[in-house]
Amino acid sequence: MIEAPPTWADLAMALEVFRDPILAGAIAGATLGYLGVFVLLRRMVFVTAALAQASGLGVALAFWLGIHLDLHPWPGTGALIAALAAALALSVDLRRLHLSREGALAGVWLVGSAGAVLVGSRITQDAHDVSAILFGSAVVVQPHELWTIAALGALTLGLGVMGQRALVFTGFDPDGARVQGLPVRWIELGFLAVLTGVVSVTTRALGALPVLAFAVLPGAAGLLAAPRLPLAFPLAAALGAVAGAAGYLAAFVLDLPVGATQAAVALLFVAAAAPVALLRG
Amino acid sequence: MSAPLLRCEGLQVGYAGRAILPPFSLEVTAGQFWAVIGRNGAGKSTFFKTLLGLLPPVGGRLERAPGLKVAYIAQRMAFDDLYPVTAREVVAMGRARRLWSTPGADPKVEQALARLEVAELADRTFRSLSEGQKQRVLLARMVASEAALAVLDEPTAAMDAIAERAAMALIDQLRRELHMAVLVVSHHLDEPRRRADRALFLDPDCERIVEGTTDQVFADPHFHHRYGDEFSPAEAHDHAHEHAHAHGGSP
Repeated sequence: MIEAPPTWADLAMALEVFRDPILAGAIAGATLGYLGVFVLLRRMVFVTAALAQASGLGVALAFWLGIHLDLHPWPGTGALIAALAAALALSVDLRRLHLSREGALAGVWLVGSAGAVLVGSRITQDAHDVSAILFGSAVVVQPHELWTIAALGALTLGLGVMGQRALVFTGFDPDGARVQGLPVRWIELGFLAVLTGVVSVTTRALGALPVLAFAVLPGAAGLLAAPRLPLAFPLAAALGAVAGAAGYLAAFVLDLPVGATQAAVALLFVAAAAPVALLRG
Repeated sequence: MSAPLLRCEGLQVGYAGRAILPPFSLEVTAGQFWAVIGRNGAGKSTFFKTLLGLLPPVGGRLERAPGLKVAYIAQRMAFDDLYPVTAREVVAMGRARRLWSTPGADPKVEQALARLEVAELADRTFRSLSEGQKQRVLLARMVASEAALAVLDEPTAAMDAIAERAAMALIDQLRRELHMAVLVVSHHLDEPRRRADRALFLDPDCERIVEGTTDQVFADPHFHHRYGDEFSPAEAHDHAHEHAHAHGGSP
């Protein structure tokens, strides 16, 4: 007997269960959408991808430690430690070794993705969790994860709004900003630290794929559609929130994987925004 | 004479502990117009970056007046065109000296835009402006910053001779009106020769940095050795005169 796909009525009845993952998706989408404008302008898309993959490895390692060594670290801690290690590796100046930044990014990304698959192959009883980490098929979000995402989102957006002008200045004209006394190096490190924290926490809850999608696509749509840069930030945050929530709902009704559906919704926003930018010239 | 804004004593500039120029001493005071001259690779950018605090000195002393506000206009390729910032937002950057800021109109920004006659460009993106318009916007940023010292790295590099003359005249006018010290690096010699009261000739192959009044520097044998006799003080003046006459300007 073929099972009938879920309907909107089914969703309404089960809203109590799905409320937290929908909220988590919306808040993560808004936070990463806002950060995504800076990620794109600072040409850090692949930094975000590498951090997300490293976070995935950290979560997988946390599960592995629980199964094989009877240690039970919170997977979010594993994600954060792995992401910080990746950020540290990426902040090393490799020019002395005649290696490009792209090479380092590819190295971190490969260690993260191959490592998660390898570690995941040794934790069969939690295979579903590993799949969720990598591809974002998480259906349930724990309450403490939702609160962590909400608190980190509020902190990130607050810091971002207050420091937005300095962040734009240091990206547009770093030497000019430094001459005027802005701590450019600390601002860069602070931004990377915030991005690392948000990516690691949201990767644990949502998976690496939607996290990367939220960190790139709403920001791109915001930059394309907004007539001025200050408007691109709230627009990207709003589109990220909608992609997070609507993607989850669409995945439920259409019986699709959550993370990929959230990414597809965000991609639709970019497709809709591109003609706006072309028309504006 | 007013207290120096910037004082160098036996300053050595370079990278990784290795000096690329001989040591030199100079004092920059309010209202002075300095021309920094040198060929490609002469160390002008290293010199500027050291003065601005972007690079540590290799040796010697570099002192700034307490609370000195400095404005820096880098070479045009130093600005990231990926940023869709408007001319007004670029001028407002001149007011950003703290990490945290609250959004809102700043009258100094509007005044600077009006002073440089770029108010009508305020809402256009910086990247969409012509080179001359960009230069005016950057000068408006310099004015908005209320800096006592402005450092301009090849501000006229992308301009033809007429546009260069207009830009340098504008910089000179702002210097006089705002009583600010200006350091300008330029590959072209006509306009620095005409506008600057002090000059610095950088040459890594020379055993000393040539510093003094513009006439002194242009008459220096080291300068002649590098540039030939075309720009001796008298000839430079004639050259500038001919140039102005050809373009209908005043010498």
